[in-house]
Amino acid sequence: MAPRYKLTYFDVRARGEPTRLLFAAAGVEYEDVRITFDQWPAHKDSTPMGVLPILEVDGITLSQSMSIARFIARETGMDGKTRLERAQADAFVDELEELIPKMAGVVVFPKDKKDKEEKSKELDKLIAERLGKCEKLSGSDGHLVGNSLLWCDLVLFNIAHNIEEAYKAGTMQDYPKLTKVCDTVKANPRIAKWMTERPAGQFDF
Amino acid sequence: MPTYKLTCFNVRGRAELIRLLFAAGEIPYEDVRIEWDKWPELKPISDTPMGQIPTLEVDGQVICQSMAIARFVAGKAGLLGKTNMDQARADMLLDGGMDVGKLFTEMVMEKDASKKAEKKKEFGEKHLPPFLALYEGFAGDNGHFVGDSLTWSDIGFFNMMDFITAEYPGALDGYCKLNKVIDNVKSNPGVAKWLKERPVTNH
Repeated sequence: MAPRYKLTYFDVRARGEPTRLLFAAAGVEYEDVRITFDQWPAHKDSTPMGVLPILEVDGITLSQSMSIARFIARETGMDGKTRLERAQADAFVDELEELIPKMAGVVVFPKDKKDKEEKSKELDKLIAERLGKCEKLSGSDGHLVGNSLLWCDLVLFNIAHNIEEAYKAGTMQDYPKLTKVCDTVKANPRIAKWMTERPAGQFDF
Repeated sequence: MPTYKLTCFNVRGRAELIRLLFAAGEIPYEDVRIEWDKWPELKPISDTPMGQIPTLEVDGQVICQSMAIARFVAGKAGLLGKTNMDQARADMLLDGGMDVGKLFTEMVMEKDASKKAEKKKEFGEKHLPPFLALYEGFAGDNGHFVGDSLTWSDIGFFNMMDFITAEYPGALDGYCKLNKVIDNVKSNPGVAKWLKERPVTNH
């Protein structure tokens, strides 16, 4: 029987990975469809808003990466225990989300060396600003909010991994509480398994 | 009964969706407005989690990020959507709206007059029409984006178009379903009352 959920995204981590991490953490099966940038133009008009990722479930297609991630977080009980926790988780995600496209501009899509240098300067500022705020507000016991793994932890983990592996190693050492959150995520057995199994991707991002 | 205190600048801006949701839910709250020139002295001593406003104080706990706050209030007002799927569809439509809203805000805030005129033309010709056509497709014949009753995605659309039609008055002409969404929101008793009473501000 086909899995209930079908996620379609490019063959990268970026905006699709938080949802993949959620499926992994919850042990929920799904179809992980990856298309190349060349294949995209043919697909574009069949998506609700002309963008990826999309999630197909029960005959409905959802769009917008964080809305999809929040939906799967709700389905799997990882959005927060109370309304207040959910709002706090949302706030962390809203604060962090912009780092992915800004990093893509430096790591994957810079126009030339000068463009890359200029965008790196802006990215460094943005990282310091956003991670600084999150560090201030983060819980101290390995979770951003409350005392259980929530989707905001996975959103942070995805971004931190990309910063360390694809952009500037050593950045996260300035953010001890956030590092503790990432370590907690990495130590989750299902996440650890996913990380050994997941495709490398068209770009390491 | 919890107490709510919303703090924002004295504008509609990022807080107006939140205020509309409190109104639609007929939930009382304290609507604290700070003047731009007072913010530098208030910012260091204010209890803002991320050093920015709006913030919502709920029984002593402070939440930041306007959309996180809006979603929280929508939940309290019963306007998120009935099922997880409905809630996800509402989220998705609001996210899509924000992408366009960002471009609009950039245009409005442009200080250089000739650049602004260029951006205004570009937005009105290149970005707004496909957005409205797309959302006309998303709207139900009943004038709701999700399900068969008012949700915060209807109110979010209304709020955004409230700003946009100030610059592009005829933008919604001919969009039957979108106009129905607007009418549904405006005729909600709490919203209607707020629209009559709210302070008039430029933004």
